[in-house]
Amino acid sequence: MTVDQPPARATSRMPQGLRSFWAGISAVSTKELRGRMRGRRAFVVVTIYLLLLSLFAFGVYQMLHEAAVMRSRFAFDGGFSDGGFSEGGFPGDGFSGSFVSGAISAEIGHALFSGILIVQTLLVLVLAPAFTSGAISMEREKQTLELLITTPLSTLGMVVGKLLSALAYVFLLIVASIPLMAIVFAFGGIGPEDLVRAYLLLFAVAFGVGAVGLFMSALIGRTQVATILSFIIVLGLTIGTVALHTYLVASTPRPDDGGFVAVERHQAPEALLWLNPLVADLDLVCITVPTGYHFTCSYISIVTGRPYFGDSFGGNMQGGMVCPSNGPCFPVDDGFVGEDRGEAVAVGEPVAQEEVELGFPRDTFWPRTAGAFLALGVALTLLSTQLIAPSRRLRSRRHTVSRAPAEGSASPTAGVQP
Amino acid sequence: MTAALRTQGLVKRYGRTLAVAGVDLEIAPGEIFGLVGPNGAGKTTTIRMLATLLPPSAGEAEICGFSVERQPDEVRRRIGYMPDTFGVYDDMRVWEYLDFFARCYGISAARRRQMVGDLLELVDLADKREDYVQALSRGMQQRLCLAHALVHDPQVLLLDEPASGLDPRARMELRELLRELRSLGKTVIISSHILPELEELCTAVAIIDRGRVLASGPVEQIQARFRQGSVARARILGDAEVVLAAQRFLAAQPEVASVELLPDGRLELALPGDEEASAALLSRAVQAGHRVASFAPAASDLEELFLQITALDEEPVS
Repeated sequence: MTVDQPPARATSRMPQGLRSFWAGISAVSTKELRGRMRGRRAFVVVTIYLLLLSLFAFGVYQMLHEAAVMRSRFAFDGGFSDGGFSEGGFPGDGFSGSFVSGAISAEIGHALFSGILIVQTLLVLVLAPAFTSGAISMEREKQTLELLITTPLSTLGMVVGKLLSALAYVFLLIVASIPLMAIVFAFGGIGPEDLVRAYLLLFAVAFGVGAVGLFMSALIGRTQVATILSFIIVLGLTIGTVALHTYLVASTPRPDDGGFVAVERHQAPEALLWLNPLVADLDLVCITVPTGYHFTCSYISIVTGRPYFGDSFGGNMQGGMVCPSNGPCFPVDDGFVGEDRGEAVAVGEPVAQEEVELGFPRDTFWPRTAGAFLALGVALTLLSTQLIAPSRRLRSRRHTVSRAPAEGSASPTAGVQP
Repeated sequence: MTAALRTQGLVKRYGRTLAVAGVDLEIAPGEIFGLVGPNGAGKTTTIRMLATLLPPSAGEAEICGFSVERQPDEVRRRIGYMPDTFGVYDDMRVWEYLDFFARCYGISAARRRQMVGDLLELVDLADKREDYVQALSRGMQQRLCLAHALVHDPQVLLLDEPASGLDPRARMELRELLRELRSLGKTVIISSHILPELEELCTAVAIIDRGRVLASGPVEQIQARFRQGSVARARILGDAEVVLAAQRFLAAQPEVASVELLPDGRLELALPGDEEASAALLSRAVQAGHRVASFAPAASDLEELFLQITALDEEPVS
């Protein structure tokens, strides 16, 4: 009997807790990764994924390149290729052939960026919950969870280890795509900061959506059900929120002002779309638009209720008027717009006309999405911990009771007697 | 000295069902303690509460002086738990399985390597080191699970039906293993509904039914307290005539309540007295010229005892 220490050890409590937290992460993720990375499967999947993504990127390039060449035959260097950008020459000039001017090259770069970003977001939305929604319910199904719980691992460490190791593969796929994504630099139009934004968003979304799967896995004992529910939630976040938002926008009574509105006033809350990674993608795409006009920007401006000033050659601001959600409409000088897309516009007050700094406000929407997903991830991870820990008081009563018959049926010797 | 395990009025309620209805136990260090009871008696629920997996509805449980409810981490460091049904991870080799659990207890890499080898040696799986866990036989998985419960050198082992589903040979190996653990000074709490399994292994038992402890203590003590005679079977050499004569002789003896002739030719005797009386009876029968080839208790002592005790328990209820 060597280890009969006095129970009160308040001083060593913190490091001890931290240590078991770390032990949880390292033990669980080592085990999980050993299983997942064993054999060739994992590497074959990465390869196939990159091949498909490359093929997709090449397709996008081909399509846009041909279209651009066709257009450049008519337009040469006039008009639009100057209008879009003021950031100087594009390295893509030499790369993409003699017919393609800088702006067209930037357009291709932009399209590649948008395409790869959206494909990757969809991938994250599908893979992250698929990997995490089995993390805990599998342990329940295989009756290994109890063995884990009776170790002194911190439950939080265990849950975080599960989440990270399940996400590690998704992260690997994301990271593996960076070199491919970097091709866009060759075309120009996309800066490194745009890529950083995109990957920050991807990681945040992967974490948040992964935590959704993890939570479902902890809440529901069966992996299949947990997976299906996670996907329903993801569908709700992507399609459901947009549908609801669109409905709210459409159902707002329109002021009868003859169509002189660029930003419609509506009662649909922006926060509804914070957890929609695809809308955040649109925002990222809008930020990088080389020509100044893009449908993504119009949509984001509807969502955020902030004016969209883009477009140098389309010239279409629905009559050249901009109406911030909480101010009167004011006209927009077409010649001025699209020059500086970088600066955030001070919106909110009906600014004097000539002092309005035009351009779409940067970094207003997607950081909220990233933040929302991070917060969601943290909250759901903590909740999952509560669902697993047997002796924590927060655990719901219903859950405790409903587990009992299940155990009774699983093992003939369980305690309940009819 | 602190008791290895102590419970006081331990209760587990599922809705309106009382799975465990006030269990009091005190187990000294180094004991091999058997929890005996029919299916659904509350053994598993009790062990799960002790293993910090279920919060008790009421009452106290302490392991090595640490409260199961308030100091679960301290308790977890001191117990090795082997559930009655357990799964194994796919995609894991035998050594990785043990290494994983050793990591969970924060054991350093160098010690892990050493210990995994030792443990595999102990449970006789050293040659299966690189095999996948799910490919092991049931008995081997059982032993591996026992090894997993030993990675952190716990003082108390909670083994829930460790022998269920094992063939006789595997069961014997398990028994050997438990003896070895006892010699290492571990306190072992072992549950079973198969009594002979525990009889020669346990230093003490508690008989549980319907969530209550009906009797607990060293096996002999319980026997002395509850014994109300026994049933013995005797084989008499000779033809049917001789056996019938022996039956008449035995029936006339004061120590015998009744004698019955079994279809296989043996005689079953109800003996209300103690072992002294049985010995006296046997020697008299032999002196009288009856050729007694065997004379033995009809069932395992513990099993018979168990049936008696649970039967006693049922009388006031029904």
